[in-house]
Amino acid sequence: MELHKEPSLNFGFSAHLSYVFEKMMKRPSYKYLLLVLGLPLHLIIFFFYQSKRKSDTYFTIHKIINESLQTAGLKEKLLSDFKEQYVRKHAFFQEKVDEQQMNREVDRLAEERYSKILAEKINDEYERQGLTKLNYISYFQRLLKNPLFLIVSFIPGVLMYILLLLFSNFFIKFIFERLIMSVFVIAGVSVLVFTILYLSPFDPAANLLGESATKEQIASFNHTYGLDLPYLMQLWNAVKGIFTFDLGASFTGNEDVAASIANKFPITLTIAIFSLLMAIVIAIPVGIISATRQNTFLDYSFMFIALIGLSIPNFWQGLIFILNFSIKLQWLPATYNPQNMLSIIMPVIVLGTGLTASVARMTRSSMLEIINEDYIITAKAKGLNERQVLWKHAIGNAMIPIITVIGLLFGDMLGGAAVTEKVFNISGIGSYIVDKQFIPDIPAIMGGVIYIAITISLVNVLIDILYAFFDPRIRSKMKQL
Amino acid sequence: MNSFKKHALKLSREYTQANFALVLSIVVSLVFLINSFNYKEGKIKSLVFTIFLVYALFTLYQFFLTWKIKKDLLKFGAIQPITRKLGYIQLLSILSANVFTASFAFNLIKNKKTPDYTFAVYMLFTQLFVIAISAFNMFKPYVTDTFLPAMGILVGILVFQVVTLVLVSKYVQDESAPSWFLVIAIVLIASSVTGNLFNLLLGISLIVKIRSHDRSRIIKWNTIWGKITRNSTAILGMFFIILMLSLSVCSKYTFDYDMAVENDYGSLLQQPSLEHPFGTDDFGRDLFSRIIFGARISLLVGFASTIIPLIIGGVLGAIAGYYTKRADNIIMRLLDILYAIPGILLAIAIIAAFGANTMNLILALSVGAIPSYARTMRANVLMVSNYEYVDSARALGASDFSIIFKQIVPNSLAPMIVKATLTIGGAVIATSSLSFLGLGVEPHIPEWGNILKIGSTYLESHSYLAIIPGLAIIGLVLSFNFLGDGLRDAFDPRMD
Repeated sequence: MELHKEPSLNFGFSAHLSYVFEKMMKRPSYKYLLLVLGLPLHLIIFFFYQSKRKSDTYFTIHKIINESLQTAGLKEKLLSDFKEQYVRKHAFFQEKVDEQQMNREVDRLAEERYSKILAEKINDEYERQGLTKLNYISYFQRLLKNPLFLIVSFIPGVLMYILLLLFSNFFIKFIFERLIMSVFVIAGVSVLVFTILYLSPFDPAANLLGESATKEQIASFNHTYGLDLPYLMQLWNAVKGIFTFDLGASFTGNEDVAASIANKFPITLTIAIFSLLMAIVIAIPVGIISATRQNTFLDYSFMFIALIGLSIPNFWQGLIFILNFSIKLQWLPATYNPQNMLSIIMPVIVLGTGLTASVARMTRSSMLEIINEDYIITAKAKGLNERQVLWKHAIGNAMIPIITVIGLLFGDMLGGAAVTEKVFNISGIGSYIVDKQFIPDIPAIMGGVIYIAITISLVNVLIDILYAFFDPRIRSKMKQL
Repeated sequence: MNSFKKHALKLSREYTQANFALVLSIVVSLVFLINSFNYKEGKIKSLVFTIFLVYALFTLYQFFLTWKIKKDLLKFGAIQPITRKLGYIQLLSILSANVFTASFAFNLIKNKKTPDYTFAVYMLFTQLFVIAISAFNMFKPYVTDTFLPAMGILVGILVFQVVTLVLVSKYVQDESAPSWFLVIAIVLIASSVTGNLFNLLLGISLIVKIRSHDRSRIIKWNTIWGKITRNSTAILGMFFIILMLSLSVCSKYTFDYDMAVENDYGSLLQQPSLEHPFGTDDFGRDLFSRIIFGARISLLVGFASTIIPLIIGGVLGAIAGYYTKRADNIIMRLLDILYAIPGILLAIAIIAAFGANTMNLILALSVGAIPSYARTMRANVLMVSNYEYVDSARALGASDFSIIFKQIVPNSLAPMIVKATLTIGGAVIATSSLSFLGLGVEPHIPEWGNILKIGSTYLESHSYLAIIPGLAIIGLVLSFNFLGDGLRDAFDPRMD
């Protein structure tokens, strides 16, 4: 039945719009959005609708059926039925019947049932007479199907039409919804981080100006940085600053926070991306080999090494690397230097170890789960050899949970970058936050934390989209709005 | 017939354990061998080399045992009594602190192993290790006043444990125990105040077997603990964690806290020796004592910052999963905000705002972990609340509160416990990472991250100052991960 409604090219543009309109009106949040966006248009149409409604047959039919039901004594019958049920239920549980409460409950139930029966009868009557029920949505839909109406109403309803167009493709709709959600999350993150820093008992002015600062000096410092404003004003400035990339100046050095964050972000991101690549290149083959040779010496060794990789603290690994490769063997430089590409090797390995270990473990368990599925046995029974089964049937499906894990862990990696950056003396965003926290330099810390959170949110949006691309189950779920 | 015997080889738990012990024993021996040479001067360090020789000896014997087991299994399909008798010799390897071969030997000499037997064995190991490690203090110029009485008590408990081990292996059956074991069980539980939780476990296990008339309960207890105790890595992880716990309790009486915090300018940056097994740092503080006292902080922060989010996240997740879509949406969307900030960064922000000390560190780490616990709990509750027993409880008129806390929560706890065990390790790493950055525990407290921070400045000249605390961290985190993996396998019915 539903299939007939599926939009197709034959339907034409305006019919398609009308279909999307109907679907969206079923969800309350979209309904209000559509009504607000197309407000001028809806006002006019509603006026026409009211005049049309007066001539509709609904009221007459409603009246006839209502009267017929009342003469049949339906309401009284329902009341006595419910009353009996109520009394029996209480008798069973051996509870006392409270007359007043019973009447209230019974009235409510009877009323509910009555209106339900009434609505059903009216529907039946409509169907018998071959009429369609007139309501605002169906009226508007009928108008939308008319191309002439579209052209006339284009100017007043342009915002609403854009929304309808966006939502007419399930994929664009998904991305759009996901982005809107991220915006809310980012706003929430900004409020949270700002509030934490606002509640701080420390006084940056006193910390920076020293013990000997006069009251006037502290007051002027607070005034310069807007610290004397009420909480909501400061919060508004902070959130606005995050979205407009204008966080003002930091407390120390008076440098532009957004600019210094923009300067320090690339190196953190570069190292993180290289670590990610390293993790994928090493971990996925290792996981697959482990899963296909389950419980062999190779499997045990790989998983043991992976567990050690998971248990090793980043900073200690960094120190041991410096000790062995820089001090003893003198192969690699101990600190990062943008001119020397060799110096990036150790930070990348150190940052990527945990991720590599987790992805390898995840790949193994996900592969093991897939290998024991029925369809793999079917594929084997069909006579496919190991390699075909593995590459054509198993790996694609095993990848789905791995992608999720990578997305989640990428966030942890960016968060943990602070430690690695400190060990290798990299002036990235992580060490920037740590350097600024002693004062505490509120705009700098907030900017750093929130922009990392934004990056992570965007990566997760990207992963969700990839997900929808790879997993046919999710795609089909998305289609059913 | 031949294939049957090959199968016996595959199925035999002893053979797997023998190989496991052999490989690890070889690795440890090699580590001692590599460290027994002084490369700069080209000399052999006699002490380390002697240790290597002892380890190599037991490793060779382990190799012989493994070969013998394999031969037995292939020839007879079962391990012969004489081979099991040969295992008694390998018991001696406990004197060289080789847990791997010693625990294997205990497994080999007993044909039918109950979880109680394993608990008793590891209980003994833990006690031996605690006493041995504490005994290193005798090389110091002086010991604390409580050292002798504390050691006396520990040795007393050890003797009692040896007796218990013999009795348990003789009288305790798979599903029952003689009723006079009740006295032993109570003493064991009382003696677990030393932090040796194997005492507690064995005590509880014995009481379950003595008192319970419900056979299914005993079987359930046996299957879960059976799975964990048969898993060599999981039980070793548990052993190390309990050892650390017991040490941090006993160190209050057997170690001198002043040695770990008071400056001693007479012995700055000394190399490892018997008096200072791990050497001293730049203030002349004994690194060995510092590491021991550091375990306390790591365990405290690790456990606290796991239990707090476990409870808060668990309750939030249960409410979100059980109640209407609206409650679910509000709670989970708010937690999404928390989830968007990586744990360490949130911790840095909170500590930046409220200052670096242990209390704030615990709170900071807890807040960041709430959402992931809530998600796990919610998923479980969604699944469990569809089961029939929940419907039947509701039909019987139980309130929402009692349904959630009596029916749903107990049945969705297993994944939470596994998750908690696996994340304690992460919390330990986070603690030391933040301390290393100067954002965690106060710098004057001996904490592994703080010790490492000092060590990192002496990387070139005194690298052991940085290496040893790192090894301690890895050991503890690895143990938690092993135990967590073991618990997951034990709770996951799919593994059967």
